Amino acid sequence: MASRWATDEVDQAEEARRKQEKEEKKRLKLAKQQAQQVQDQAPPVQESESRPPKRRRLSPSAEEPDNTNVVPKEKEKDTTSSERKLLRFSAGSWGPSRLSSNFETLNAIEEGSYGWVSRARDISTGEIVALKKVKMDKPAHTADGFPITALREISILQRCASHPNIVTLREVLMDSSSSANSPSSVVLVMEFLEHDLKTLQEDMPDPFLPSEIKTLLRQLGGAVAFLHDNHILHRDLKTSNILLNNRGALKLADFGMSRSMPPPTSSSPSTTTTPPTPLTQLVVTLWYRAPELLLGTPTYTPAIDLWSLGCIFGELLSNTAILPGKNEVDQLSLILAFCGLPSEKTYPAFYRLPNARTLNLPRDSGAKSAPDATLRLVRARYPAALTAAGAELLASLLSLHPEARPSAHDLLQHRYFAEAPKPKPPELFPTFPSKAGQEKRRRRASPHAPRRGDVAPALKAGEVDFSGLFAGREDEEVGGGFSLKMG
Amino acid sequence: MHPSPLANPLTTVAQLETTGSQLDGIPADLEDSVRFAGARLTQATGTLLRLPQEVIAQAIVIFMRFWVGPEGGSLADFGADQVSAASLYLTTKLSAYTKSPRSIINVYAYLNSLPAAFVDAEQLQQQKADKHYVSEGTYQTRKTTLFDTEQSILRILGFQLHVAVPYTLCITYLQTLDIFTQLPRPRVSELAKRTIAYLNTALLSPQLLYLTHQPPNLATAAIYLAAKEVAVKLPDVEWWEVFDTDREELGFLVVGLLSVESFAAQEKKRWADKKVPMTVGEIETEVASRRSAERED
Repeated sequence: MASRWATDEVDQAEEARRKQEKEEKKRLKLAKQQAQQVQDQAPPVQESESRPPKRRRLSPSAEEPDNTNVVPKEKEKDTTSSERKLLRFSAGSWGPSRLSSNFETLNAIEEGSYGWVSRARDISTGEIVALKKVKMDKPAHTADGFPITALREISILQRCASHPNIVTLREVLMDSSSSANSPSSVVLVMEFLEHDLKTLQEDMPDPFLPSEIKTLLRQLGGAVAFLHDNHILHRDLKTSNILLNNRGALKLADFGMSRSMPPPTSSSPSTTTTPPTPLTQLVVTLWYRAPELLLGTPTYTPAIDLWSLGCIFGELLSNTAILPGKNEVDQLSLILAFCGLPSEKTYPAFYRLPNARTLNLPRDSGAKSAPDATLRLVRARYPAALTAAGAELLASLLSLHPEARPSAHDLLQHRYFAEAPKPKPPELFPTFPSKAGQEKRRRRASPHAPRRGDVAPALKAGEVDFSGLFAGREDEEVGGGFSLKMG
Repeated sequence: MHPSPLANPLTTVAQLETTGSQLDGIPADLEDSVRFAGARLTQATGTLLRLPQEVIAQAIVIFMRFWVGPEGGSLADFGADQVSAASLYLTTKLSAYTKSPRSIINVYAYLNSLPAAFVDAEQLQQQKADKHYVSEGTYQTRKTTLFDTEQSILRILGFQLHVAVPYTLCITYLQTLDIFTQLPRPRVSELAKRTIAYLNTALLSPQLLYLTHQPPNLATAAIYLAAKEVAVKLPDVEWWEVFDTDREELGFLVVGLLSVESFAAQEKKRWADKKVPMTVGEIETEVASRRSAERED
């Protein structure tokens, strides 16, 4: 190809001269190397094996001894360069937001943690989509401008567009405000899925089959692993945020609480030392909130999402929330009843978390706090629905110590997914009547996601006494000796 | 739409044909001047707010995106200083380095108090920045304008705020070229500094290089020029193709980057000790005075 920047004659002559010099040097070097090779045989051979192939490919003429003839060499170069495949990157373009009048609302679906969701039809294409109207509460608008939660949700959804288990954001609509003071309305246009897991479970007489649970959990784990790989914390995993279509595909939604993980600060000593970014403690809906959050840790890890995942796993097994606390204190007591207390050895930081100091926690000798205590309890609770591997996975997800929980990738590699019954292919999933259709939903009381900006309630000393929590433990029945496998 | 650290949304051909400002009768050269001044204003503010260069660069790219295309923002509707402030505010909000509206408004008030468009960087540090707080009333008005402009940016960009900047990428590329191990330390940092300086230059280009070329190409061109300038020998082959840049693009970017210097010198000469018109009112006055000058000729 003729290039505007192609070398002219002067350049070619210059290049030829440079090549010649290089060849000369190379020959000298080669001679030197050969001389050395006579003395010492092993290392030079290795070197000549490791380097040249790449060189040869990039510059085919370099090995030719004859370099007086420049023109054919240039031609040869051109043909090879056109053969080389260069990657082309594309991230689309941009254009102004459309108006919400391009969509026709069909029916309301539900009110999420920070917006209203409805089913709508794109007037121009006839496609059915889900519209999520961003709540633009006035006080927030006057304090910080456009709500940061909405901005984060949009940018995270844009980053996750490629993942099959994360709901797709198609575009963002914006109606400019009529008056100067009122904020304009912003609507996220997302793909419509027929079900959310919570409503679906409310209507199901029996829980999902073990093979179906595996498929659901694997898709969910894949989505969470993708988020964590991209340094995103979801921070509000719960069944009502998990959408399901009639083809067995699970998609994670509602990123209103999620945020990027702050960059690690300790690893770079050269830069100015900044304290670790304090993250807000008031995240994750109560029933799915990890113990370290309840105890007020200012710095937490992706492990909080895996705790929620454990709660969802348990909920899939039994169709009911496993830790339905009435308030923060009740939630913590349910968790501790489930997991036992950590010993100073297994989780020393536990007793030093901000809220732990104010609680009257019985110091455990360690007998009941071993990880297998949770495991026994899990087995006793789900004797039929769970194999030994499944029980082990659930118990490890619900570990008090964040570091004892598996990562999302570990979860996907767990042998629970490999053993029989195998995960059911999504295509074979049963279909259900969609509730997101016409009728207003029945709502079972479940706590809302915490509101942004609220102060996390401190667990007050003296308010509760946990000392009697494990009083009757010894008399309790230990789980069944065997469990029945079910397909 | 798959945002990646290697790809940015780029302008379409239609967007490059004209701009909202030109449709409103604002001459293209004036628009270039205002965009250049606005980008420099964003850079100065970011520096004063001690923001990392990546964040400042993202803000400048968003500022540049705002004006592009017939559906883009027009200087007849939006003050360039407002858009600069709002894009910086928006970018910091999404970054790990949040700044309050008050700090941003204060810094813009301070920079606005400077007598001319071209001030030395050292001079910025010498003046006492804490002397330039705005009154509470002014703050409230400016905050409202800031938030309104923020929403306009979001609307005009269709919430496309993804900006990948090639600062770390160019270091990775230099490492891939195996230059760092071969050079003495001072030369290494000299080369890296020049490369990053060229990436910063590209931000100010009237050719909108960040809106027309992907980060790998920008990083490659910056390395090419920096190596030439610092006299570091690069591989004697088409190494740029390893970084997915063909000769054509490299040539274009090299010329584009080198031309910024003369453009900047010309701008400096043109505005010398004057201020570049930024607000809607100032632009109107400037356009009107140009028209009357033409009529007299």
